[in-house]
Amino acid sequence: MATADTLAKPPAPALNWQTLAHSGKRRRSVSQSTLLAFLVIVSLPIILPYFWMVVISFTARTGGISTDVLWTACAVIVPAVLLYSVIHASLPSPRLRLVAGAVLLAIACALLIALIGDRLHFDNYRFLWRANVVEEIRSKATAGGQFPSVWTAFRNSLVLALSQTVIIITVASLAGYYISRFAFRGREAFLQGMLVLHAFPAMTLIIPIFLILYWVGLLDTIVGVMLVLATIELPFYVFVMKGFFDSVPWDIEMSAMTDGATRRQAFRLVVLPQVRVGLIAVSVFAFIRAWEEYIFVRTFLIENKNWVMSLYLFWVADDIMGVDYGIVAAVSVFYVLPSLLLYVFCQKYLTQMTIGGIKG
Amino acid sequence: MARIELKNLRKDWGEAVAVTGLDLSIEDGAFVAVLGPSGCGKTTTLLLLAGIYSPSAGEIAFDGARVNDVEARDRNIGIVFQSYALYPNMNVLQNVMFPLRFKHVEPAEAERRAREIAALVRIDPLLERRPSQLSGGQQQRVALARALVKQPHLLLLDEPLSNLDASLRLSMRTEIRRIQRELGVTTILVTHDQIEATTMADRIVVMNAGRIEQEGTAEDLYERPETLFVASFIGSPPINLFDGHAESGAIKIHQGAMALATPVNGPVVLGIRPESLTVNGSGMPARIVAVEPMGREVLYTAESALGIIRFLEAGPDARHAEDDNIALSFSPDDGLLFDKTSGRRLDARVAA
Amino acid sequence: MTSFATAQIRRRRANFGLFLGPTAILLLLFFIAPVIVDVGVAFTDMGRTLSVSSFTLENFERMLTRDSRLLASLGITAIFVITTLCIFNVGFALLLALVTTSVSARVGAFFRAIWLLPRMSPSVVYALLWLWVVDPNERGLLNQIVVHVLGLPPIDLRNNHPLVLVILANGFIGASLGMLIFTSAIRSIPEHLFHAARADGAGSLAIVRHIVLPALRWPISYMTIHQTLSLLVTFEYILLITAGGPFYDTTVFSLFAYRRAFENGQYAYGAALSLVLVIIGVVAALAMWRLMNMKELLQPPRIEVH
Repeated sequence: MATADTLAKPPAPALNWQTLAHSGKRRRSVSQSTLLAFLVIVSLPIILPYFWMVVISFTARTGGISTDVLWTACAVIVPAVLLYSVIHASLPSPRLRLVAGAVLLAIACALLIALIGDRLHFDNYRFLWRANVVEEIRSKATAGGQFPSVWTAFRNSLVLALSQTVIIITVASLAGYYISRFAFRGREAFLQGMLVLHAFPAMTLIIPIFLILYWVGLLDTIVGVMLVLATIELPFYVFVMKGFFDSVPWDIEMSAMTDGATRRQAFRLVVLPQVRVGLIAVSVFAFIRAWEEYIFVRTFLIENKNWVMSLYLFWVADDIMGVDYGIVAAVSVFYVLPSLLLYVFCQKYLTQMTIGGIKG
Repeated sequence: MARIELKNLRKDWGEAVAVTGLDLSIEDGAFVAVLGPSGCGKTTTLLLLAGIYSPSAGEIAFDGARVNDVEARDRNIGIVFQSYALYPNMNVLQNVMFPLRFKHVEPAEAERRAREIAALVRIDPLLERRPSQLSGGQQQRVALARALVKQPHLLLLDEPLSNLDASLRLSMRTEIRRIQRELGVTTILVTHDQIEATTMADRIVVMNAGRIEQEGTAEDLYERPETLFVASFIGSPPINLFDGHAESGAIKIHQGAMALATPVNGPVVLGIRPESLTVNGSGMPARIVAVEPMGREVLYTAESALGIIRFLEAGPDARHAEDDNIALSFSPDDGLLFDKTSGRRLDARVAA
Repeated sequence: MTSFATAQIRRRRANFGLFLGPTAILLLLFFIAPVIVDVGVAFTDMGRTLSVSSFTLENFERMLTRDSRLLASLGITAIFVITTLCIFNVGFALLLALVTTSVSARVGAFFRAIWLLPRMSPSVVYALLWLWVVDPNERGLLNQIVVHVLGLPPIDLRNNHPLVLVILANGFIGASLGMLIFTSAIRSIPEHLFHAARADGAGSLAIVRHIVLPALRWPISYMTIHQTLSLLVTFEYILLITAGGPFYDTTVFSLFAYRRAFENGQYAYGAALSLVLVIIGVVAALAMWRLMNMKELLQPPRIEVH
């Protein structure tokens, strides 16, 4: 039986609280700054190229790529950001920070305009209103064939992405709801099947899918690409929608049915509105995915009569990249913008998607 | 062991203030309970002491030295969380030995000390098990052992008994008290249950909405509550409170009035504990509206000139029935008067 | 049977068709059928004409004996998958998750958002950016640093070290998914465990070792398998950045099948090569399915009326 004697004696001498306080302060600031420095350094390879692309699109003339404008801009922006973080850390009140930040912003803008303002121009964006940009530069378009207006490609991409999203939303919601709510023979098997399909890499089937599209006559059509794209991601989305339906309380449906609705009406009128967040999340994700699609469109659209943005950019780059980086950069910026905007504004929806506890 | 001092301590997250204006002094070896409703800031205070949170203002001192900047791992504090927070990937012995790793204790010595404290807390047969294989009471004792094995300056307990069932609660109360007395370690217990506070601790600190309302022994809090909050929080069944207006030596309450021995003016609240009221022939008339036998006592609810009033009588059988007319009286010392706006108790008495 | 019962049965069948039908049809057409077609075509002699004239085992024979490039491609695939997986998809992802959860929440979220940017941008744009970064003359971003900061002659990653380029490009994308998964797992560790460890005297490294890593065991194994599979079959970025070259120097197995089919017109051979991947994919998918807890995912239905 243990007695307390061996345990009761306080550690002697008492701890030196002052040295501990000093080492505590030091440790905390060192570790926080190292972590922050690490994050900044590894994120630079991502931030810089995108920023560079934007800079090129607004400054480059015919010729090769250059980096002087980039470095000048960085020389202004980086100290400004550093200065602001120091200000943010040392000033307590939010209003003071806002004022200081605004002043800093004004100074940085003025500096930028003074240093590189004369280099900025919209010329590279002329592809938006002139369709023959490539032909003008190289006197004829070689790799890409006859280039359409960028707006044709934009329209096609939009049609592709939107219709694919509509298909996915409808089909995945229907299936997700059914699996979540109904008892049917093979329910478990179906769900397991979905899981296996989700884990299975669809890219391996690109060759046979090509053949199937050829046989049903959908090769070289946007409809064909649309259907394939929708199907490839379907298991994942069915899972996600099922997850959202799972979290809708049964009581709501039950009361709808006692109020006289059939299951289908209950689904449409009562349950579906509850999973609005899920629908938005899936739509945004599916849209972004279809907007960026390259490999399927490249493989399944063989003649260049159906242009989408990814192909447009690819062929423009292929043709004139060695000669005029500015236009290529401008097209890139134009192409990235919708994805980026959607991503930034719908971020909180995107993080809601879960699949049995794994968020992605 | 350490003497703990909080000086004007404040913790806020922007607009949300968790605790403010905390001034407290705790002697070496004392057992103090911090009592208050949920959300009053008691757990925040605990985490401030442990160094998990940094104060927004004010100072924490151990033995007179300021420890605001000392990291949690250097404070040598043992803490038992409400959820026990046992490491799921280690067995009981490894859990208890864990703190000794960071004190650079040899593994053999660490194991010896762990087994010793395990015996003290009576978990020795469980050392090979994983936390998921233990009951709530067992997990709690493992958490206690882990907190004590490092010979802490200060032991912090966050609602240690709230997740246990009634009988276990009773036995753990005595266990914790016994261990604390044997080891003599300064202990702070946080709870919302006044029975826990009064039965385990030497001194009680009552907190409400981030502030300390009153500090003292159980008796101090019961007999001389400094604020309305303390008066209504301490004591079960809760004190009867009557809103009234005092002027010219008397209070007007509801449909009744009472003479005052000390002159007071303004809106006041009169408090009378149910146990202070007795049924006799010559007091305030009242009509019983509810009878609740509670075993040892019977709780009556009655309508009087002052309003709805509750009183107790020894049980188990009820001596009165609904609709009975009775007369209630109380000793003037048992009538507590509070200023309605500030909530502070007034140094005034009703007349006999 | 009462009319109610027959109506119920009829409606149940209708519901089954209505709700699950579209999914089943799409999956059958473009998921299941291709697998069967692939198996079939692999045994034919389909070439540029897309017509079948005979059934043969020639493709497999060629795979195993006559295709010298295939062996090289397998080697490249192995290097590519293992390196990208360990360094980026799991390694760096873990590091990013740990670091972004150790700084303040908003800062962490900001940097995670930055690391998701490559995944969210269109692949063509991402590939273009890489091409500009590794531009062989002095003006490429990478060479700016190599020449002006390190003082070395400019390097041409695309022609001289294409595998490195491809690993980097895929790595930056791959790290982001793992980072998300691991971050989510770290965030779901109950806060009290961290408090208790800190009060017990543990420093940050000890906390990572004793609290965080044990909780990440399952996500790490799941991610490893998932990403291995993903790296085995993905070739989009490789196609865009190096087109599998120079020559076949960065042609991983999946790209090899693609090129044989679409560049050389050898569709049957391509199908045979793909079949290998399909089999690996099925086996891995089944293995991963076993790892997940099926019971958790299925709630029993509580309404029985249709």
